[in-house]
Amino acid sequence: MLAGRAPPGAAACRRLLAAALAAGLRPLLCGLRPCWATARRAAGQWPSPGLRVPEAAEAERLVQQAQQLQRIRAPLRRFIACPQLARTVQRCLQGGAGPGPRPVLLECAPGPGILTRTLLNAGVRVVALESNSAFLPNLQSLENSLDGQLKVIYGDFFRLDPLVTGTVKPPAVCSDKLFETMGVAAVPWRADVPLKIFGILPQRKERNTLWRLLFALYECSSIYRYGRVELNIFISEKEYKVLTAKPGEVRAYQALTILWQVGCEIQLLHMEPWSSFVTNLKNGGRAVPKSTWLPNDHLCLVRLTPQQNLFTGGLKPTNSSTFIFMVKQCLARPKSRLTDRLNSWSLDNGGKLLRELEIPDSAETRSLYPEDYRRLFEALQNSNMFTETWFHDEVLDSIRNINL
Amino acid sequence: MSLLRLRAALLGPARLRGAGIPWSVLRTYSSASAKEKARRNAICERTELLEVLKARVKQLQASNVPEMMVNKVDLAPLGNDKYQDLLEKVVAPGPAEEQLTPRGRGESPARPRNWVEKSKEEMYIRQLKVERKLSIAASRLALEGQAKAKRKDKAKAKAKAKKRLKKPEAKVAAAQSHAGSHNVYAHSKPKVVAVKEAAKAQRPQGVLKNKDSSQHKVLQQTIQSNLECFLFLQQPEEAERFLLLYHRSPVKRRLLNANAYNIVMRIWARKGCLQRVNRLFSMMESVGLQPSLDSYAAVLECMGRNQSCTKAIQRCMQQLKNDGFHVDELFQKCLFEEDEKEKVLRAIRIVQPNYQLPPPPSPQTCKSYLLQDFYSKEKMVSYPKLDFSVQELQERFQQQLEMELNNTITIESVESTKPLTPQAIKARKLLTTLRSRWHDSILQALQKSKHSMSKLKTVSGYNILYPYLCLLPDEEYVGIMLQILNTLSPQGESLAVLARELGSKVYNRYITQRKLRSRQLEKPDEYLPREYWEKLVAEAGFGPSLNLKDCSWPYMLIMRLGMHMLELLVHAVKVPRNALNPHLEHKLIPVLYHVYSFRSSWQIGLIKPHPIFSQIVSDAAETLLTFNSSAMPMLCPPVPWTSPHFGAFVLNDTKLMRFVDGAIQHQLLLDQCPPVNLHPVLDALNQLGNCAWKINQPVLDIIISIFNDKGNEKLDIPPPISEAPRPPAIPSNYSTMNKSQKHELLLYKKKTAEMHSLRMDALYKLSIANYVRDKVFWFPHNMDFRGRTYPCPPYFNHLGNDVTRAILLFAEGKPLGPKGLDWLKIHLINLTGLKKRNALQERLEYANEIMEEILDSADHPLTGRKWWMNTDEPWQALACCMEIAKASRSPDPAAYISHFPVHQDGSCNGLQHYAALGRDLIGAISVNLMPCDVPQDVYSAVAQQVEEFRKKDAEQGVKIAQVLQGFISRKVVKQTVMTVVYGVTRYGGRLQMEKRLKEIDEFPEEYLWEASHYLVKQVFNGIKEMFSATRDIQNWLTESAKLIAQSGQTVEWVTPLGLPIVQPYYRSKSTVLNCSMQHLSVKSSNSNQKPDTVKQKNAFPPNFIHSLDSTHMMLTALHCLRQGMTFVSVHDCYWTHALTVDIMNQICRQQFVALHSEKILQDLSNFMLEKYCRSGRETRAPWQKKLMEQLSNVPKTGKFNLKKVMDSTYFFS
Repeated sequence: MLAGRAPPGAAACRRLLAAALAAGLRPLLCGLRPCWATARRAAGQWPSPGLRVPEAAEAERLVQQAQQLQRIRAPLRRFIACPQLARTVQRCLQGGAGPGPRPVLLECAPGPGILTRTLLNAGVRVVALESNSAFLPNLQSLENSLDGQLKVIYGDFFRLDPLVTGTVKPPAVCSDKLFETMGVAAVPWRADVPLKIFGILPQRKERNTLWRLLFALYECSSIYRYGRVELNIFISEKEYKVLTAKPGEVRAYQALTILWQVGCEIQLLHMEPWSSFVTNLKNGGRAVPKSTWLPNDHLCLVRLTPQQNLFTGGLKPTNSSTFIFMVKQCLARPKSRLTDRLNSWSLDNGGKLLRELEIPDSAETRSLYPEDYRRLFEALQNSNMFTETWFHDEVLDSIRNINL
Repeated sequence: MSLLRLRAALLGPARLRGAGIPWSVLRTYSSASAKEKARRNAICERTELLEVLKARVKQLQASNVPEMMVNKVDLAPLGNDKYQDLLEKVVAPGPAEEQLTPRGRGESPARPRNWVEKSKEEMYIRQLKVERKLSIAASRLALEGQAKAKRKDKAKAKAKAKKRLKKPEAKVAAAQSHAGSHNVYAHSKPKVVAVKEAAKAQRPQGVLKNKDSSQHKVLQQTIQSNLECFLFLQQPEEAERFLLLYHRSPVKRRLLNANAYNIVMRIWARKGCLQRVNRLFSMMESVGLQPSLDSYAAVLECMGRNQSCTKAIQRCMQQLKNDGFHVDELFQKCLFEEDEKEKVLRAIRIVQPNYQLPPPPSPQTCKSYLLQDFYSKEKMVSYPKLDFSVQELQERFQQQLEMELNNTITIESVESTKPLTPQAIKARKLLTTLRSRWHDSILQALQKSKHSMSKLKTVSGYNILYPYLCLLPDEEYVGIMLQILNTLSPQGESLAVLARELGSKVYNRYITQRKLRSRQLEKPDEYLPREYWEKLVAEAGFGPSLNLKDCSWPYMLIMRLGMHMLELLVHAVKVPRNALNPHLEHKLIPVLYHVYSFRSSWQIGLIKPHPIFSQIVSDAAETLLTFNSSAMPMLCPPVPWTSPHFGAFVLNDTKLMRFVDGAIQHQLLLDQCPPVNLHPVLDALNQLGNCAWKINQPVLDIIISIFNDKGNEKLDIPPPISEAPRPPAIPSNYSTMNKSQKHELLLYKKKTAEMHSLRMDALYKLSIANYVRDKVFWFPHNMDFRGRTYPCPPYFNHLGNDVTRAILLFAEGKPLGPKGLDWLKIHLINLTGLKKRNALQERLEYANEIMEEILDSADHPLTGRKWWMNTDEPWQALACCMEIAKASRSPDPAAYISHFPVHQDGSCNGLQHYAALGRDLIGAISVNLMPCDVPQDVYSAVAQQVEEFRKKDAEQGVKIAQVLQGFISRKVVKQTVMTVVYGVTRYGGRLQMEKRLKEIDEFPEEYLWEASHYLVKQVFNGIKEMFSATRDIQNWLTESAKLIAQSGQTVEWVTPLGLPIVQPYYRSKSTVLNCSMQHLSVKSSNSNQKPDTVKQKNAFPPNFIHSLDSTHMMLTALHCLRQGMTFVSVHDCYWTHALTVDIMNQICRQQFVALHSEKILQDLSNFMLEKYCRSGRETRAPWQKKLMEQLSNVPKTGKFNLKKVMDSTYFFS
């Protein structure tokens, strides 16, 4: 190969490698009749471009090569390398779709593009958001070879709308810029899903990301400003157990559980062992995180669809931070009694209120259903108990702390 | 004389003094401390798992223990049979022995049956013949040896088994990783087995080592402090019951030591119950514990009290001798309280009517080479004296004593001069009624909880807190809780801080009570004035009565007690909801509420006051401040430090060495250290504490006038909250606020909170200063673990900011002398920050030039041209202007009596020590170790060096070097150079650089990262070039510390003055405290823990240098004392009278040369080699070889001639 002969100057080497990557994956284009294609495109269904999907070993090599191009050590990332897994994921993503026009799919951090190609072959319109510039040439050449079915954007979904003030430096991106580039317009909350997102949550920031998405959801900010964006994400089994925990489950039932269950419909699409994924570690290790309390043998593909009726009751994007604050305070000590919590906030009418809601006086905070919390919040909101000034200060404080 | 007995004994933690929560703590609260606590909290979960495992381990241990205990029971009496004699005969004159057992049974049904059996066993064994005992004893030794060997084998076998087990487990895991979640069980099982095996394997070792573990120590401490509570409460039955709880269980019994039995014996002895004492004595023997001197003291005391017959006493004393003790030792080594000593003496005099107390041991003197002159001189030192009569001093002492007896002191704040508004009057009235209501409800709650605790006690187990809630009168607990309520800031405080505060307040008060009780203060009239302290100390030596009887409370206990009180407080204190708004319905709501604050994934419990309460308090604008008496300067000279446990305040508990909560290493090290080695350090602290101060009243008045007006941020007088910027408009409905509005509101709140804490800090300082404005006062000193000295009172002291320093004067006046006025002028110019790089003569000339400005500032500080306001340290400059004005206007300036302190600063003191250590020629020049005409500036020198590097690189086409052209200045490099000595890393250095570069507007932002990265590299290179040996030394220290820490040990060393130092950095471990309000995770100190390698390594060089600079300061202080001069220090800034500046300068240089003439690094290397690689071990691990190599390889030094320092004008200037 060319790269083999070239003098090993770092920059030159990087360029050559990138070229080699692109060449190796040049798409096999097949001719299709244009008018037929246009019709299907309108419905969000593209003709299959018949791309070659590299085998797992090849994909792994690509990841390793990209890693070598990095000057600084990139954080741990996981990729789909196995074509079979890619097909499974593709089927999951397309499953359950209604007859209407299919929304665009935003694929976060596609890396070697195994899933991307599978999706394209299945006729899905894809926007690829890649944060590692080493993967970009490959994706871009793919983009150029297609007729608008793929759009490649340089950016990091997990650094969306950074909270620090000042200019946003790529790969961090602003959601409005991103949506503008994708050509996705905002729709009302009750309307259909305007965009599907697929991604694998970065392991180190998993919980953090879940919290940030949650805040965005309740505030209708960031991606949720554009409507009920559907998230299809791979999360660790441990976090999945947390998201879907039932009241009373020790350790798994947390504030995060309640808030996600109130906010979204949570669907498990697929479970896949950690070993099926390729990491960007130099030694090719799988970096399976340990978990003491909860099972954690898989990555779970979970669909999070925001509830249509989230904001129909007393809950509003403007007061939702109080709701989040309330739930967090309650679950800070899951074994404590709800009445004690309410009393410790000087919200004295606690007992009466709970009776009205038919919540037993002795109820522990972790034994309440998510809907109960929502009702409790709405009742408190109506009884004007949150007007006590200190509660606002605390809410403000807690927002600042979590959002950073 | 009795005062000399006044032992500050009680080494309780210094951690917890000071009134209220310092506001400065609040300021930093949101960042570091909060994070820390959050982290601790989060560890809870993990510890729970550990708890489970531990419990299992314990279980395994317990089931195995009986075997071992059987051994002990069989064998133990053998060693002790000689005491049986005593027991038998002592009891004989009283009721017959047979009566003892049944009666004991009748009195305390809880008494274990085994004890009776055991005593029977003992009686049986007593009958055995001596020869047989001897042979058994011999065989026991042999047996023990075998047992040990067996245990080892067992352990090895188990370890192997464990390994074998582990492998299959791994396979299982791998094989099943594709399967469903059920496989959890599959491979969790082998794991459990492995854990069990591991536990078994470790057990034998654990049992052997257990006695040394600090967990063990903490438990022992808990038992002891509990027993001491009973001693204090005079409840022998309770104490015995508690002791039996442990004595009965073979496992728990291991926690008991002779001390525990001794305490219970003492309680009975005080009641005069000889039988009980004897029974405990035999119980102690039955478990194989050696009676100590204290045990005999207790027996004798009891006999003295009972006027027992001669025979019994004689037997007891015979026994004492048989045990290898001497009667004199009782009075030399034991600690007595109340009338114990007299009683013991009486008992002895029954037998030996002519017995005389042993003479005090002859004082030893320190043999340090550095202090040869200091200690060898025959002539007594001429102390800096104040013209007090003995009478006056006694009065002062009485005042101080009264203040400390009250524990708290309430003073008028400086704001009290303001007129009262009607609103304030109303609010105060409301507050008074509320407070009395709160008082009642807290009292009620306290009594209720105590009642339920006392009930619980009889039903199940034992409530550990109960005795601690009985130590003081109920009113005192209520007072402490109300005090906390009054000092709570509107932003709230974390539970942990409040709990600690409450717990330690109780502890401090208890200590005071105990000291009072022990009659150490009985005859304060006999107190002798300060001039004789030295002599008296010499006479008393570090005799027994000054030493400690360890009674500090474990940290966990303080926290637990504090949490209990906090819970009471939260539940009991209520306020009517309509207190401020009468339209609302009347309803009581809690004043304090408990919320969690979240920091990423951690949570911290906070206690916050309700806004209604904060509003009332702020409306009331109360002008009374309550402080702990230890927050005030002392009104008499501090009690000199004579041992690590005695000194400083009269009653308040003070630590010689400050350290973090729960750390016990320092105290252990100090206790192990021979007292004579500590003398120089103690003397230095005494010298610093003996400096008398007074207030510069004119300056204080000006400051207070500005403070009570509108403050002045430029002059560092924090403005009142009323001067804060307007709050942003808040829409009526909170939820409609948009993001930027919320942000604005947040910023506003942050700003006001900051202003509030700054204001309160200044208020405290000024109020204390105002309170002592007409008095002479003293600051007792202690030190941190590196030997750096600090004044004990936390708010107002000479280490404070410009404002506080400006209002302090030496109480002692000295004439200016021929050069004094010049020194004042030079000092003034130094304070302005101008003419830094000019010679002294030039500074003096400049001062003379601007004499008109100086006089104008002095005469019309607020109305004149205000020259002083534009200086670096405006308030000190103003004070200096006034002094110069007064001196120059006096008829003879040389005879003018000045109280003004003149400062001499070391120039980059850390680097000075490095340069001297390494004998770096270039380095020495740049930090003024070499005589020069003008002061050298190391920062400029480094900047120049960096600039040279840059030029070279720029020529070679390095882009960033070209970009940086014209941006490298002294200011850019200063912070980094300064902190290099204190171990700044490249990472931190880069951040500093980035900050400096950001301040330069013209600098292109896109190059910030690269430029700062480049600069920090070049600064390090520059320093390396200039201080070639310095970097070597730093690296050597770092590398040595790393290897030591990696070997699992902590870095220790001894300063040239003999102070032992240990770095207290361990991998933190925390224990969870389960309280009903919240689980609190408390960091526990554990000397068994592994050292934190990174901290040990990074902190060693700066800590070592700090230990050297503190040594230099102490040497200077001691030699100044020799010369009869006044001397105080703010680390590397030395203060004295204008008259004695020249002498001080000379001493300072002499001592620097003397210090560095010692082979400091070689000594360090030898010490560490001895400590960490003691030879004699046949096999050496590779790491040990490596460590030895590293430690022996002392860096080479340069060619600088140290003697030159003597002539360097700008070394300290």
